[in-house]
Amino acid sequence: MLREMVGYSLVGIGAFFYFLAGLGLLRMPDIYTKLQASTKATTLGTFSIALGVGILDFSFLGKAILLIAFVALTNPVAASVMLRAAYKNKAPVCKETVIDECGTMVDGNGGDVK
Amino acid sequence: MRRVWAILVAGVFLYFLVGQFLPIIPTFGNVDLFARVAFDIINKSTTTNYNAVEFKKSKDLEDGSANVVTSIVVNYRSFDTLGEVSVLFCAAIGVGILASMLKSKKRIEFEEHKVLRISTGIVLPLILLFGAYIFIHGHLSPGGGFPGGTTIALGVLLLMLSNNEFKVTNVAKYVEQSAGAGYVVIGLMGMAIGGVFLMNFLPTGVVGNLFSAGVVPIVYTFIGFKVGAELSNVISDLREG
Repeated sequence: MLREMVGYSLVGIGAFFYFLAGLGLLRMPDIYTKLQASTKATTLGTFSIALGVGILDFSFLGKAILLIAFVALTNPVAASVMLRAAYKNKAPVCKETVIDECGTMVDGNGGDVK
Repeated sequence: MRRVWAILVAGVFLYFLVGQFLPIIPTFGNVDLFARVAFDIINKSTTTNYNAVEFKKSKDLEDGSANVVTSIVVNYRSFDTLGEVSVLFCAAIGVGILASMLKSKKRIEFEEHKVLRISTGIVLPLILLFGAYIFIHGHLSPGGGFPGGTTIALGVLLLMLSNNEFKVTNVAKYVEQSAGAGYVVIGLMGMAIGGVFLMNFLPTGVVGNLFSAGVVPIVYTFIGFKVGAELSNVISDLREG
């Protein structure tokens, strides 16, 4: 009983974060904030849905944890690379932006190897 | 003089083509199919009693792969798959020629990103392992040589995007050539043992085991290596220019 409650509420939390991702894509003003909203919410949504399904069905739990590990490895990197490409191509920022920390780094290069 | 030679050669080819095949072409509606295609192949069935096929139980079927698509693609239709592989080879050659005809011979340099480079080191072995898994288990689960090889080529692309020093060396070309030759050698072995080109001459084993389906996993391993090396070469050609 408790197991089912925990599992279904985790799935519900995941669905809620997916909803937030969609809302963020619609409502946020520029590409940086749009991608921030969608990736953060998608990552967390996938984590909790996979964990919830794993708790509901214990035979799936090992696979769910592996799934979470792979999403944690790839999704943030993909978002970072996409945002960096947008920044390098000088995608416009919304007018509420106050600070550009990437441009004020040591070489103004945003974490490049060179 | 060259034109005369060309006309002579073309004439000889035309003579042989028309002269050889014209008498064979029957009049419309009068084809004796059994004389053209082997009777055994038309009447082929997976087993004589097809209700008896059970997962992990049935032994020594005509084709022991659990994945039906694979059993069609690499067993019954294997000659066509050999053609598909050659089509991919021609496409790779075409891309190579087009890329070498470009005026600017400049190599495309990517700006390296520390995050991408470090995470590639973690993810790349997993991608390669997954590609190998797809083509080794092609006869058991969805997948096979083509998607597996493409996954491996994607790993190479990721390496190329994250690392400017990385180059696809000639090893990829050797792998591709020897894998393609291996496929043909398997076919010739089938011809030597069973009398039919690309015949499944190994024992097919129990349906659902990793070591089953006779020649299918071997052929898919060759195809996986070939496609992976070929697509890596295509990517490398497009980059090096």
